[in-house]
Amino acid sequence: MSTMAVAFAFLAPALISLVVLRIAPAAVALWESLFRESFLRGGTVFVGLENYADLFGNADFNNALLVTLVFSAIVNPLQIGVSFLLAVLYTRRAAGSKIWRSLVVLPIAVPPAVSAVVWSVIYRPDGLGNSFLAMLGLPEQSFLTSPQQSLASIMVLLSWIGVGYWMLFLIAGINDVPTELYEAASIDGASAWRKLWSVTFPLVRRPLAFVLVADTVSNFLIFAPVQILTKGGPSGSTNLLMYDIYTRAYTLGDLNKAQAEVIILVLLTLVVVAVQFRLLRSSDNA
Amino acid sequence: MSIMNKTSTSKRRTLGYIGLSVLGACIGLLFLLPLWWTFVNSLRPGGDTFRFLNPLQWETFFTLTPSLDNYVELLSSDLGLATWNSIFVSTVTVIIGLAICSMAAFALAAIPFKGSGVVFIVVVVSFLIPFDAIAIPLADLFRDWNLQNTYTGLILPGLGNGMAIFLLRTFFLAIPKDLVEAGRLDGLGWWGIFRRIYLPLSVPSLIGAGLTLFLFQWQSYVWPLLNGTDAQHILGPIALSNLQGQFNVDYGVMFAGSIVLTVIPLAIIIGFQRYFIQSVTTTGLK
Repeated sequence: MSTMAVAFAFLAPALISLVVLRIAPAAVALWESLFRESFLRGGTVFVGLENYADLFGNADFNNALLVTLVFSAIVNPLQIGVSFLLAVLYTRRAAGSKIWRSLVVLPIAVPPAVSAVVWSVIYRPDGLGNSFLAMLGLPEQSFLTSPQQSLASIMVLLSWIGVGYWMLFLIAGINDVPTELYEAASIDGASAWRKLWSVTFPLVRRPLAFVLVADTVSNFLIFAPVQILTKGGPSGSTNLLMYDIYTRAYTLGDLNKAQAEVIILVLLTLVVVAVQFRLLRSSDNA
Repeated sequence: MSIMNKTSTSKRRTLGYIGLSVLGACIGLLFLLPLWWTFVNSLRPGGDTFRFLNPLQWETFFTLTPSLDNYVELLSSDLGLATWNSIFVSTVTVIIGLAICSMAAFALAAIPFKGSGVVFIVVVVSFLIPFDAIAIPLADLFRDWNLQNTYTGLILPGLGNGMAIFLLRTFFLAIPKDLVEAGRLDGLGWWGIFRRIYLPLSVPSLIGAGLTLFLFQWQSYVWPLLNGTDAQHILGPIALSNLQGQFNVDYGVMFAGSIVLTVIPLAIIIGFQRYFIQSVTTTGLK
């Protein structure tokens, strides 16, 4: 047998599953997004980009797009900022650092559906959230049932699971920074903040870049907490794209437009990944 | 003068040490709190969930009369069956997935063949397409192929994992090619080289890749929601979120289910902590 045949024998199961279960559905979505059910002629007719045009003229879709972009613009810097600060905190010399750090990491084991269920009880009017506010002397909040607070409430529960995970990457990066650099900075009389900003930050740029891209992509795909907690409401305030696709496909039954929306979501993630890599590469050269 | 300076710096050091320790502890405990509260509530009757919340008291977070009743009840409930389904689906995914992914990684790393570049691009493209985003078109295909509400349908998408292939390939590339030559001289074929040389040398990275495959399947929500919701094939997270939506919820059992669905991955992550961190850092830094 030729080497080529051997190689493909080794590759076949993985290649087939990747092509059939990842690439084919994307191709099918792209193809079907160009068609539309026709009751007049029966079956489907080719409509070109009309499904896309309709989506961009649709108030619900535009709202979902806006909510998703606002959500991304807030949740990503928030999670990355917090995980970076926590990574710095937990790599300093302090009592019990490793134990406290593992408590922050603990929620990564919690499946998204479980965390949504647990937080649904925390966010109830008579739940743990309001008990805490009462202890601090703050007024009761409505959390998930308020259009102003619902998206932020979802961000909090997502950060509870996410921050520890991203922190792991940044801790690995910080531990790779040679200690001599800090010593040199100390001899130069640099303050703690100065060291953080001029020594740590530039040197963890690679793991930070990875976290930025991976976190952004995973936050574009948030679904379980929305479906379990808010169903996109109240008044569309948590209607993230993934959930909008789901309702379009199954509640509204408009599969072709849902496919168009899938393509828009995939393109959006690919564009973000490409842009972020580009930006990071150019700042590497600088 | 210089002595006084020294004592004041060391005093500031101690203060900083204590401050960082306290801060680290508070944040760690804050992250633990939701899970701890869930755990305590899983040990008391569902009717007591909201009893100690207003105002907050020590009994909110502790109970003197823990009972395993909720866990016993869980065993005979639908959620219990769903948890077994999750364990079954994840286990099969890890075993078959590891075989498929390690074979592919071996072909990409060790066998020189024409077209390996193209194959690698297919792997990268397939993991740039986020699985959750294409779950809806894929579910549509699976309906046509009669794979809905089958274990096969639940397991298949988890098998070929671009990330796992990438991880294993990175590790396999570091194995010296001399070993391949030596194996060939001893009369081993490619399969023998894979089985006798590569696999035994790669146990840590196989564990890391196995964890990736396991967590993908255990944490998934969108796919089991779209593809397997009948009573026989429902997975843990879906059954749990169904429970949450019901009018008359037994919070005790719901919390017990949450704990079980969390403890299983947690035990696995802690058991293989070293490999988990290793796989996290490889994906992040390479």
